[in-house]
Amino acid sequence: MATRSRFPVDRGLTARMLTTVFLLGLLYAVFVTVLVLLHVQLAFILVLAFGILFVQYFFSDKIALYSMGGKVVTREQEPHLHAVVDRLVAMANMPKPTVAVAQTDIPNAFATGRDQKHAVVCVTYGLLRRLDEPEVEAVLAHELSHVAHRDVAVMTIASFLGILAGLLTRVLAYAGLFGGFGGGNRNNNNNAGGQLVLIEMGMLVVSAVIYAISFILIRTLSRYRELAADRSGAILIGQPAILASALVKVSGEMSRIPTRDLRAAEHFNAFYFAPALAQGASLSSLFATHPPLQKRLDQLARLDAEMHRGAA
Amino acid sequence: MGFLDALLGRTKPAEANLDKLFGLPGARITLEASEALTPTLQAGVCFKPATGQAFAATEQEIAGLLDLPADDGDSSAPADTATASGSGAKLSEGADEFGYRWIVVGAPDFDTLVTRVHFVNSTMKDNGYGPTLLCSVFGFHPATSPGAPATTYLVYLFKRGTFYPFVPTGRERRDNEGELRLKALLSEDLAIEPDLDRWFPLWNLPVR
Repeated sequence: MATRSRFPVDRGLTARMLTTVFLLGLLYAVFVTVLVLLHVQLAFILVLAFGILFVQYFFSDKIALYSMGGKVVTREQEPHLHAVVDRLVAMANMPKPTVAVAQTDIPNAFATGRDQKHAVVCVTYGLLRRLDEPEVEAVLAHELSHVAHRDVAVMTIASFLGILAGLLTRVLAYAGLFGGFGGGNRNNNNNAGGQLVLIEMGMLVVSAVIYAISFILIRTLSRYRELAADRSGAILIGQPAILASALVKVSGEMSRIPTRDLRAAEHFNAFYFAPALAQGASLSSLFATHPPLQKRLDQLARLDAEMHRGAA
Repeated sequence: MGFLDALLGRTKPAEANLDKLFGLPGARITLEASEALTPTLQAGVCFKPATGQAFAATEQEIAGLLDLPADDGDSSAPADTATASGSGAKLSEGADEFGYRWIVVGAPDFDTLVTRVHFVNSTMKDNGYGPTLLCSVFGFHPATSPGAPATTYLVYLFKRGTFYPFVPTGRERRDNEGELRLKALLSEDLAIEPDLDRWFPLWNLPVR
Protein backbone atom coordinates (compact mmCIF):
# COMPACT_ATOMS: atom_id res chain seq x y z
CA MET A 1 0.00 0.00 0.00
CA ALA A 2 1.51 3.27 -1.08
CA THR A 3 0.92 5.83 1.59
CA ARG A 4 1.88 9.45 1.42
CA SER A 5 4.35 10.71 3.90
CA ARG A 6 3.48 13.92 5.65
CA PHE A 7 7.02 14.33 6.86
CA PRO A 8 9.11 16.12 4.29
CA VAL A 9 12.71 15.15 3.55
CA ASP A 10 15.37 17.85 3.36
CA ARG A 11 17.50 16.88 0.38
CA GLY A 12 19.63 20.01 0.60
CA LEU A 13 20.82 19.20 4.11
CA THR A 14 21.57 15.62 3.07
CA ALA A 15 23.60 16.83 0.10
CA ARG A 16 25.60 19.29 2.19
CA MET A 17 26.36 16.62 4.75
CA LEU A 18 27.41 14.19 2.04
CA THR A 19 29.77 16.80 0.58
CA THR A 20 31.37 17.40 3.98
CA VAL A 21 31.80 13.70 4.61
CA PHE A 22 33.29 13.29 1.15
CA LEU A 23 35.79 16.12 1.63
CA LEU A 24 36.77 14.69 5.00
CA GLY A 25 37.36 11.27 3.47
CA LEU A 26 39.35 12.80 0.62
CA LEU A 27 41.48 14.71 3.10
CA TYR A 28 42.25 11.54 5.02
CA ALA A 29 43.13 9.64 1.90
CA VAL A 30 45.58 12.39 0.89
CA PHE A 31 47.04 12.47 4.40
CA VAL A 32 47.64 8.74 4.58
CA THR A 33 49.18 8.76 1.11
CA VAL A 34 51.57 11.53 2.14
CA LEU A 35 52.52 9.60 5.27
CA VAL A 36 53.23 6.48 3.28
CA LEU A 37 55.25 8.36 0.66
CA LEU A 38 57.38 9.97 3.36
CA HIS A 39 58.16 6.62 5.05
CA VAL A 40 57.28 7.96 8.46
CA GLN A 41 57.56 5.73 11.50
CA LEU A 42 53.85 5.47 11.99
CA ALA A 43 53.52 2.64 14.46
CA PHE A 44 53.78 4.73 17.61
CA ILE A 45 51.47 7.48 16.43
CA LEU A 46 48.94 5.02 15.07
CA VAL A 47 48.82 3.12 18.36
CA LEU A 48 48.33 6.36 20.25
CA ALA A 49 45.61 7.62 17.90
CA PHE A 50 43.82 4.28 17.92
CA GLY A 51 44.02 4.24 21.70
CA ILE A 52 42.30 7.61 21.91
CA LEU A 53 39.72 6.55 19.33
CA PHE A 54 39.04 3.35 21.25
CA VAL A 55 38.55 5.12 24.55
CA GLN A 56 36.33 7.78 22.97
CA TYR A 57 34.24 5.23 21.18
CA PHE A 58 33.72 2.67 23.91
CA PHE A 59 33.63 4.89 26.97
CA SER A 60 31.99 7.99 25.53
CA ASP A 61 28.86 7.43 27.62
CA LYS A 62 30.75 7.05 30.90
CA ILE A 63 33.21 9.86 30.21
CA ALA A 64 30.49 12.35 29.30
CA LEU A 65 28.28 11.38 32.24
CA TYR A 66 31.17 11.54 34.68
CA SER A 67 32.48 14.86 33.50
CA MET A 68 29.05 16.47 33.55
CA GLY A 69 28.09 15.02 36.92
CA GLY A 70 25.16 13.19 35.37
CA LYS A 71 23.46 10.61 37.58
CA VAL A 72 21.48 7.75 36.11
CA VAL A 73 17.93 7.98 37.42
CA THR A 74 15.50 5.08 37.79
CA ARG A 75 11.86 5.15 36.87
CA GLU A 76 10.99 5.52 40.55
CA GLN A 77 13.18 8.60 40.94
CA GLU A 78 11.99 10.44 37.83
CA PRO A 79 8.73 8.79 36.73
CA HIS A 80 7.63 11.64 34.49
CA LEU A 81 10.93 11.95 32.66
CA HIS A 82 10.97 8.20 32.08
CA ALA A 83 7.39 8.24 30.85
CA VAL A 84 8.20 10.94 28.28
CA VAL A 85 11.24 9.01 27.04
CA ASP A 86 9.23 5.75 26.97
CA ARG A 87 6.68 7.28 24.65
CA LEU A 88 9.21 8.96 22.40
CA VAL A 89 11.22 5.79 21.85
CA ALA A 90 8.01 3.86 21.21
CA MET A 91 7.08 6.43 18.56
CA ALA A 92 10.54 6.37 17.01
CA ASN A 93 10.90 2.59 17.32
CA MET A 94 14.26 2.58 19.03
CA PRO A 95 15.53 0.90 22.22
CA LYS A 96 15.20 2.96 25.36
CA PRO A 97 18.41 4.73 26.34
CA THR A 98 19.64 5.13 29.89
CA VAL A 99 18.12 8.27 31.39
CA ALA A 100 20.28 10.54 33.51
CA VAL A 101 19.95 13.90 35.19
CA ALA A 102 22.84 16.29 35.88
CA GLN A 103 22.85 18.41 39.01
CA THR A 104 23.64 21.65 37.29
CA ASP A 105 21.68 24.78 36.76
CA ILE A 106 22.83 25.29 33.17
CA PRO A 107 19.70 24.49 31.13
CA ASN A 108 20.96 21.89 28.67
CA ALA A 109 20.80 18.27 27.65
CA PHE A 110 23.06 15.83 25.89
CA ALA A 111 23.08 12.39 24.38
CA THR A 112 26.04 10.08 24.15
CA GLY A 113 26.96 6.43 23.69
CA ARG A 114 28.34 4.59 20.67
CA ASP A 115 25.10 2.93 19.57
CA GLN A 116 21.44 2.73 20.45
CA LYS A 117 21.99 -0.03 23.01
CA HIS A 118 24.61 1.94 24.94
CA ALA A 119 23.02 5.34 24.63
CA VAL A 120 22.56 7.75 27.50
CA VAL A 121 20.28 10.77 27.43
CA CYS A 122 20.98 13.33 30.09
CA VAL A 123 19.11 16.50 30.98
CA THR A 124 20.07 19.05 33.62
CA TYR A 125 17.90 20.17 36.48
CA GLY A 126 18.26 23.67 35.07
CA LEU A 127 16.48 22.47 31.94
CA LEU A 128 13.72 20.67 33.83
CA ARG A 129 13.10 23.76 35.93
CA ARG A 130 13.02 26.36 33.18
CA LEU A 131 11.22 24.57 30.37
CA ASP A 132 7.62 23.42 30.42
CA GLU A 133 6.81 19.78 29.74
CA PRO A 134 6.25 19.87 25.95
CA GLU A 135 9.52 21.77 25.58
CA VAL A 136 11.43 19.21 27.66
CA GLU A 137 9.91 16.54 25.43
CA ALA A 138 11.09 18.43 22.34
CA VAL A 139 14.63 18.64 23.71
CA LEU A 140 14.56 14.90 24.47
CA ALA A 141 13.33 14.22 20.91
CA HIS A 142 16.32 16.21 19.59
CA GLU A 143 18.72 14.20 21.77
CA LEU A 144 17.12 10.89 20.81
CA SER A 145 17.61 11.86 17.17
CA HIS A 146 21.34 12.21 17.87
CA VAL A 147 21.24 8.66 19.21
CA ALA A 148 19.24 7.40 16.22
CA HIS A 149 21.66 9.10 13.82
CA ARG A 150 24.57 7.44 15.66
CA ASP A 151 26.28 10.78 16.00
CA VAL A 152 28.82 9.64 18.58
CA ALA A 153 30.11 6.93 16.27
CA VAL A 154 30.09 9.15 13.19
CA MET A 155 31.80 12.09 14.87
CA THR A 156 34.36 9.93 16.71
CA ILE A 157 35.41 8.26 13.49
CA ALA A 158 35.31 11.55 11.62
CA SER A 159 37.64 13.14 14.13
CA PHE A 160 40.03 10.18 14.11
CA LEU A 161 42.49 11.47 11.54
CA GLY A 162 42.16 14.91 13.01
CA ILE A 163 43.48 13.46 16.24
CA LEU A 164 46.19 11.63 14.32
CA ALA A 165 47.30 14.78 12.52
CA GLY A 166 47.18 16.77 15.72
CA LEU A 167 49.36 14.22 17.50
CA LEU A 168 51.82 14.09 14.66
CA THR A 169 52.12 17.87 14.66
CA ARG A 170 52.81 17.90 18.35
CA VAL A 171 55.27 15.00 18.32
CA LEU A 172 57.24 16.53 15.46
CA ALA A 173 57.19 19.97 16.97
CA TYR A 174 58.54 18.66 20.28
CA ALA A 175 61.14 16.57 18.50
CA GLY A 176 62.21 19.69 16.61
CA LEU A 177 62.31 21.84 19.73
CA PHE A 178 64.09 19.57 22.14
CA GLY A 179 66.01 17.09 20.06
CA GLY A 180 66.66 19.29 17.09
CA PHE A 181 65.52 18.32 13.65
CA GLY A 182 67.20 15.34 12.09
CA GLY A 183 67.15 13.23 15.19
CA GLY A 184 69.49 15.43 17.21
CA ASN A 185 72.30 15.17 14.74
CA ARG A 186 73.31 18.73 13.92
CA ASN A 187 76.08 17.78 11.60
CA ASN A 188 75.16 19.90 8.58
CA ASN A 189 77.66 18.19 6.34
CA ASN A 190 75.69 14.97 6.65
CA ASN A 191 73.55 14.74 3.55
CA ALA A 192 71.15 12.14 4.91
CA GLY A 193 70.62 14.21 8.04
CA GLY A 194 69.75 17.27 5.99
CA GLN A 195 67.24 15.27 4.03
CA LEU A 196 65.68 14.04 7.24
CA VAL A 197 65.31 17.59 8.48
CA LEU A 198 63.47 18.52 5.30
CA ILE A 199 61.18 15.53 5.58
CA GLU A 200 60.36 16.27 9.19
CA MET A 201 59.75 19.92 8.50
CA GLY A 202 57.52 18.95 5.60
CA MET A 203 55.62 16.52 7.77
CA LEU A 204 55.09 19.18 10.40
CA VAL A 205 53.62 21.57 7.87
CA VAL A 206 51.46 18.93 6.21
CA SER A 207 50.16 17.68 9.55
CA ALA A 208 49.33 21.14 10.74
CA VAL A 209 47.49 21.98 7.54
CA ILE A 210 45.61 18.66 7.59
CA TYR A 211 44.69 19.23 11.20
CA ALA A 212 43.35 22.71 10.48
CA ILE A 213 41.28 21.62 7.50
CA SER A 214 39.89 18.52 9.21
CA PHE A 215 39.01 20.66 12.23
CA ILE A 216 36.91 22.99 10.09
CA LEU A 217 35.30 20.09 8.24
CA ILE A 218 34.44 18.26 11.46
CA ARG A 219 32.88 21.39 12.92
CA THR A 220 30.90 21.84 9.70
CA LEU A 221 29.71 18.25 9.91
CA SER A 222 28.76 18.80 13.54
CA ARG A 223 26.60 21.79 12.59
CA TYR A 224 24.84 19.85 9.88
CA ARG A 225 24.17 17.03 12.30
CA GLU A 226 22.64 19.47 14.77
CA LEU A 227 20.29 20.67 12.06
CA ALA A 228 19.48 17.05 11.17
CA ALA A 229 18.72 16.26 14.82
CA ASP A 230 16.53 19.37 15.11
CA ARG A 231 14.62 18.26 12.06
CA SER A 232 14.11 14.63 13.10
CA GLY A 233 13.26 15.67 16.64
CA ALA A 234 10.67 18.17 15.46
CA ILE A 235 9.11 15.59 13.15
CA LEU A 236 9.03 13.03 15.95
CA ILE A 237 6.95 15.28 18.19
CA GLY A 238 5.02 16.63 15.20
CA GLN A 239 5.37 20.22 16.41
CA PRO A 240 8.45 22.11 15.19
CA ALA A 241 7.25 25.24 17.00
CA ILE A 242 7.72 23.65 20.43
CA LEU A 243 11.33 22.74 19.68
CA ALA A 244 11.90 26.30 18.45
CA SER A 245 10.54 27.77 21.67
CA ALA A 246 12.72 25.41 23.72
CA LEU A 247 15.75 26.55 21.69
CA VAL A 248 14.96 30.20 22.26
CA LYS A 249 14.50 29.66 25.99
CA VAL A 250 17.69 27.65 26.42
CA SER A 251 19.79 29.97 24.27
CA GLY A 252 18.47 33.02 26.09
CA GLU A 253 19.28 31.48 29.45
CA MET A 254 22.68 30.27 28.32
CA SER A 255 24.10 33.73 27.74
CA ARG A 256 23.02 34.85 31.19
CA ILE A 257 24.95 32.11 32.97
CA PRO A 258 28.37 32.99 34.40
CA THR A 259 31.12 31.94 32.02
CA ARG A 260 33.18 29.93 34.48
CA ASP A 261 30.75 27.01 34.56
CA LEU A 262 30.41 27.21 30.83
CA ARG A 263 34.07 26.90 30.13
CA ALA A 264 34.19 23.75 32.19
CA ALA A 265 31.52 22.30 29.95
CA GLU A 266 33.07 23.46 26.72
CA HIS A 267 34.79 20.24 25.74
CA PHE A 268 31.60 18.29 25.57
CA ASN A 269 29.68 20.54 23.27
CA ALA A 270 29.35 18.12 20.41
CA PHE A 271 26.04 16.53 21.32
CA TYR A 272 24.55 19.19 23.46
CA PHE A 273 21.16 20.65 22.77
CA ALA A 274 22.67 24.12 22.66
CA PRO A 275 26.36 24.97 22.84
CA ALA A 276 27.55 25.95 26.30
CA LEU A 277 29.61 28.77 24.86
CA ALA A 278 27.44 31.73 24.00
CA GLN A 279 27.78 32.80 20.39
CA GLY A 280 30.12 35.73 20.76
CA ALA A 281 31.85 37.84 18.15
CA SER A 282 35.14 36.13 19.02
CA LEU A 283 33.89 32.74 17.92
CA SER A 284 33.93 32.46 14.19
CA SER A 285 30.90 30.65 12.84
CA LEU A 286 33.34 28.44 10.94
CA PHE A 287 34.54 26.84 14.17
CA ALA A 288 31.19 26.56 15.92
CA THR A 289 29.89 23.09 16.79
CA HIS A 290 26.30 24.32 16.61
CA PRO A 291 24.64 26.37 13.90
CA PRO A 292 23.55 29.87 14.85
CA LEU A 293 20.24 30.01 16.67
CA GLN A 294 18.61 31.94 13.84
CA LYS A 295 19.51 29.25 11.33
CA ARG A 296 18.00 26.54 13.51
CA LEU A 297 14.86 28.58 14.07
CA ASP A 298 14.55 29.27 10.33
CA GLN A 299 14.76 25.58 9.55
CA LEU A 300 12.08 24.77 12.12
CA ALA A 301 9.85 27.54 10.80
CA ARG A 302 10.17 26.16 7.26
CA LEU A 303 9.36 22.66 8.52
CA ASP A 304 6.35 23.99 10.40
CA ALA A 305 5.11 25.74 7.27
CA GLU A 306 5.55 22.58 5.19
CA MET A 307 3.61 20.54 7.73
CA HIS A 308 0.86 23.14 7.80
CA ARG A 309 0.52 22.89 4.07
CA GLY A 310 0.34 19.11 4.54
CA ALA A 311 3.37 18.42 2.39
CA ALA A 312 3.04 15.18 0.49
CA MET B 1 18.43 2.12 9.82
CA GLY B 2 21.08 1.73 7.23
CA PHE B 3 24.68 2.81 7.17
CA LEU B 4 23.97 5.63 4.74
CA ASP B 5 21.14 6.95 6.90
CA ALA B 6 23.47 7.05 9.90
CA LEU B 7 26.15 8.77 7.86
CA LEU B 8 23.75 11.41 6.61
CA GLY B 9 21.92 11.90 9.88
CA ARG B 10 18.47 11.20 8.60
CA THR B 11 15.78 8.94 9.97
CA LYS B 12 12.59 8.08 8.28
CA PRO B 13 9.72 8.40 10.73
CA ALA B 14 8.88 4.86 11.88
CA GLU B 15 5.83 3.53 10.05
CA ALA B 16 3.03 1.79 11.92
CA ASN B 17 2.44 -1.93 11.56
CA LEU B 18 -1.27 -2.70 11.72
CA ASP B 19 -1.61 -6.34 10.66
CA LYS B 20 -0.77 -7.93 14.00
CA LEU B 21 -3.96 -6.52 15.51
CA PHE B 22 -5.94 -9.43 14.09
CA GLY B 23 -4.26 -11.83 16.50
CA LEU B 24 -6.42 -10.31 19.22
CA PRO B 25 -9.60 -12.44 18.82
CA GLY B 26 -7.49 -15.57 19.43
CA ALA B 27 -5.90 -14.01 22.50
CA ARG B 28 -9.33 -13.08 23.79
CA ILE B 29 -10.41 -16.74 23.80
CA THR B 30 -7.24 -17.74 25.67
CA LEU B 31 -7.77 -14.98 28.22
CA GLU B 32 -11.36 -16.03 28.77
CA ALA B 33 -10.52 -19.72 29.16
CA SER B 34 -7.45 -19.39 31.39
CA GLU B 35 -7.90 -16.15 33.31
CA ALA B 36 -11.68 -15.64 33.19
CA LEU B 37 -11.12 -12.21 31.64
CA THR B 38 -13.52 -10.80 29.07
CA PRO B 39 -13.18 -7.70 26.94
CA THR B 40 -14.74 -4.49 28.23
CA LEU B 41 -15.46 -3.78 24.55
CA GLN B 42 -13.60 -0.54 24.76
CA ALA B 43 -10.33 0.35 23.16
CA GLY B 44 -8.23 3.46 22.83
CA VAL B 45 -5.96 4.65 20.05
CA CYS B 46 -3.21 6.94 21.23
CA PHE B 47 -1.40 9.32 18.91
CA LYS B 48 0.72 12.45 18.94
CA PRO B 49 -1.19 15.26 17.26
CA ALA B 50 0.89 16.83 14.50
CA THR B 51 0.77 20.48 13.70
CA GLY B 52 -1.27 21.73 10.76
CA GLN B 53 -4.69 21.73 9.20
CA ALA B 54 -4.10 18.47 7.32
CA PHE B 55 -3.86 16.57 10.59
CA ALA B 56 -6.95 18.20 12.06
CA ALA B 57 -8.81 17.25 8.88
CA THR B 58 -7.74 13.62 9.28
CA GLU B 59 -8.99 13.64 12.85
CA GLN B 60 -12.31 15.04 11.71
CA GLU B 61 -12.50 12.44 8.96
CA ILE B 62 -12.11 9.65 11.50
CA ALA B 63 -14.61 11.24 13.84
CA GLY B 64 -17.08 11.60 10.98
CA LEU B 65 -16.67 8.05 9.69
CA LEU B 66 -17.01 6.56 13.17
CA ASP B 67 -19.98 8.84 13.66
CA LEU B 68 -18.61 9.89 16.99
CA PRO B 69 -19.52 13.09 18.71
CA ALA B 70 -16.50 15.19 19.46
CA ASP B 71 -16.31 15.36 23.21
CA ASP B 72 -15.96 19.09 23.61
CA GLY B 73 -14.38 20.60 26.65
CA ASP B 74 -14.17 17.45 28.74
CA SER B 75 -10.57 16.42 28.28
CA SER B 76 -9.60 13.56 30.53
CA ALA B 77 -12.58 11.92 32.17
CA PRO B 78 -13.96 9.04 30.12
CA ALA B 79 -17.66 9.21 29.37
CA ASP B 80 -19.02 6.28 31.35
CA THR B 81 -22.44 6.11 29.80
CA ALA B 82 -22.71 5.97 26.06
CA THR B 83 -19.36 4.42 25.29
CA ALA B 84 -19.51 1.24 27.33
CA SER B 85 -21.95 -0.68 25.21
CA GLY B 86 -23.14 0.62 21.82
CA SER B 87 -21.08 1.88 18.96
CA GLY B 88 -20.32 4.96 20.97
CA ALA B 89 -16.83 6.26 20.52
CA LYS B 90 -15.27 9.56 21.24
CA LEU B 91 -12.37 11.73 20.37
CA SER B 92 -10.80 13.28 23.39
CA GLU B 93 -10.40 17.01 23.07
CA GLY B 94 -7.12 18.26 24.32
CA ALA B 95 -4.13 16.15 25.20
CA ASP B 96 -3.26 13.85 28.08
CA GLU B 97 -0.49 14.83 30.50
CA PHE B 98 2.17 13.82 27.97
CA GLY B 99 0.65 15.68 25.04
CA TYR B 100 -0.91 12.65 23.34
CA ARG B 101 -4.52 12.36 22.26
CA TRP B 102 -6.88 9.41 22.48
CA ILE B 103 -9.70 8.14 20.33
CA VAL B 104 -11.80 5.85 22.52
CA VAL B 105 -13.76 3.30 20.53
CA GLY B 106 -16.57 1.04 21.73
CA ALA B 107 -18.36 -1.83 19.96
CA PRO B 108 -21.11 -4.40 20.61
CA ASP B 109 -18.69 -7.29 20.18
CA PHE B 110 -14.96 -7.84 20.23
CA ASP B 111 -14.41 -8.60 16.53
CA THR B 112 -16.18 -5.37 15.59
CA LEU B 113 -14.04 -3.50 18.13
CA VAL B 114 -10.83 -4.80 16.60
CA THR B 115 -12.10 -3.92 13.12
CA ARG B 116 -12.99 -0.41 14.23
CA VAL B 117 -9.62 0.16 15.87
CA HIS B 118 -7.96 -1.10 12.73
CA PHE B 119 -10.10 1.29 10.74
CA VAL B 120 -9.02 4.26 12.86
CA ASN B 121 -5.40 3.24 12.50
CA SER B 122 -5.51 2.64 8.78
CA THR B 123 -7.25 5.97 8.19
CA MET B 124 -4.39 7.66 10.03
CA LYS B 125 -1.87 5.68 8.05
CA ASP B 126 -3.51 6.25 4.67
CA ASN B 127 -3.44 9.98 5.33
CA GLY B 128 0.27 9.82 5.97
CA TYR B 129 0.09 10.03 9.75
CA GLY B 130 1.19 6.48 10.58
CA PRO B 131 4.30 7.83 12.34
CA THR B 132 2.14 9.75 14.83
CA LEU B 133 0.54 6.56 16.21
CA LEU B 134 1.88 5.50 19.63
CA CYS B 135 -0.21 2.59 20.81
CA SER B 136 -3.66 1.02 20.98
CA VAL B 137 -5.07 -0.23 24.25
CA PHE B 138 -7.75 -2.90 24.74
CA GLY B 139 -9.49 -3.28 28.08
CA PHE B 140 -10.36 -6.58 29.83
CA HIS B 141 -12.17 -7.24 33.11
CA PRO B 142 -13.16 -10.29 35.15
CA ALA B 143 -16.01 -12.21 33.49
CA THR B 144 -17.76 -12.43 36.87
CA SER B 145 -18.32 -8.69 37.15
CA PRO B 146 -19.69 -7.33 33.87
CA GLY B 147 -19.82 -3.56 33.69
CA ALA B 148 -16.84 -3.18 36.00
CA PRO B 149 -13.92 -1.08 34.73
CA ALA B 150 -11.05 -2.82 33.05
CA THR B 151 -8.46 -4.46 35.27
CA THR B 152 -6.14 -5.71 32.56
CA TYR B 153 -5.04 -4.07 29.33
CA LEU B 154 -3.39 -5.34 26.21
CA VAL B 155 -1.25 -2.60 24.71
CA TYR B 156 -0.34 -2.73 21.04
CA LEU B 157 2.87 -0.96 20.01
CA PHE B 158 2.37 0.20 16.45
CA LYS B 159 5.99 0.64 15.49
CA ARG B 160 7.05 -2.73 16.83
CA GLY B 161 3.98 -4.70 15.85
CA THR B 162 3.99 -6.25 19.33
CA PHE B 163 1.71 -6.43 22.35
CA TYR B 164 2.33 -6.29 26.05
CA PRO B 165 -0.01 -6.77 29.00
CA PHE B 166 -0.50 -3.94 31.45
CA VAL B 167 -2.12 -4.66 34.83
CA PRO B 168 -2.29 -1.52 36.98
CA THR B 169 -2.95 -2.13 40.67
CA GLY B 170 -3.70 1.24 42.15
CA ARG B 171 -1.81 4.46 42.14
CA GLU B 172 1.20 4.13 39.81
CA ARG B 173 1.69 0.46 40.67
CA ARG B 174 1.50 -2.49 38.37
CA ASP B 175 1.32 -6.24 38.84
CA ASN B 176 4.55 -7.35 37.15
CA GLU B 177 4.04 -10.97 38.14
CA GLY B 178 0.60 -11.04 36.59
CA GLU B 179 1.92 -9.36 33.46
CA LEU B 180 4.67 -11.92 33.05
CA ARG B 181 2.14 -14.71 33.55
CA LEU B 182 0.00 -13.20 30.79
CA LYS B 183 3.07 -12.93 28.60
CA ALA B 184 3.66 -16.67 28.91
CA LEU B 185 -0.02 -17.39 28.42
CA LEU B 186 -0.48 -15.24 25.32
CA SER B 187 2.81 -15.85 23.58
CA GLU B 188 1.22 -18.33 21.19
CA ASP B 189 -1.64 -16.05 20.17
CA LEU B 190 0.15 -12.72 19.98
CA ALA B 191 3.55 -11.30 19.19
CA ILE B 192 4.53 -10.27 22.72
CA GLU B 193 7.13 -7.52 23.01
CA PRO B 194 10.33 -9.34 24.08
CA ASP B 195 12.13 -6.22 25.34
CA LEU B 196 10.66 -5.59 28.81
CA ASP B 197 12.12 -2.07 28.76
CA ARG B 198 9.44 -1.18 26.26
CA TRP B 199 6.55 -2.24 28.49
CA PHE B 200 5.98 1.32 29.63
CA PRO B 201 3.18 2.01 32.09
CA LEU B 202 0.10 3.93 30.96
CA TRP B 203 -1.46 5.44 34.07
CA ASN B 204 -4.87 7.11 34.02
CA LEU B 205 -6.02 5.39 30.85
CA PRO B 206 -9.17 6.86 29.32
CA VAL B 207 -10.21 3.31 28.34
CA ARG B 208 -12.52 1.52 30.71
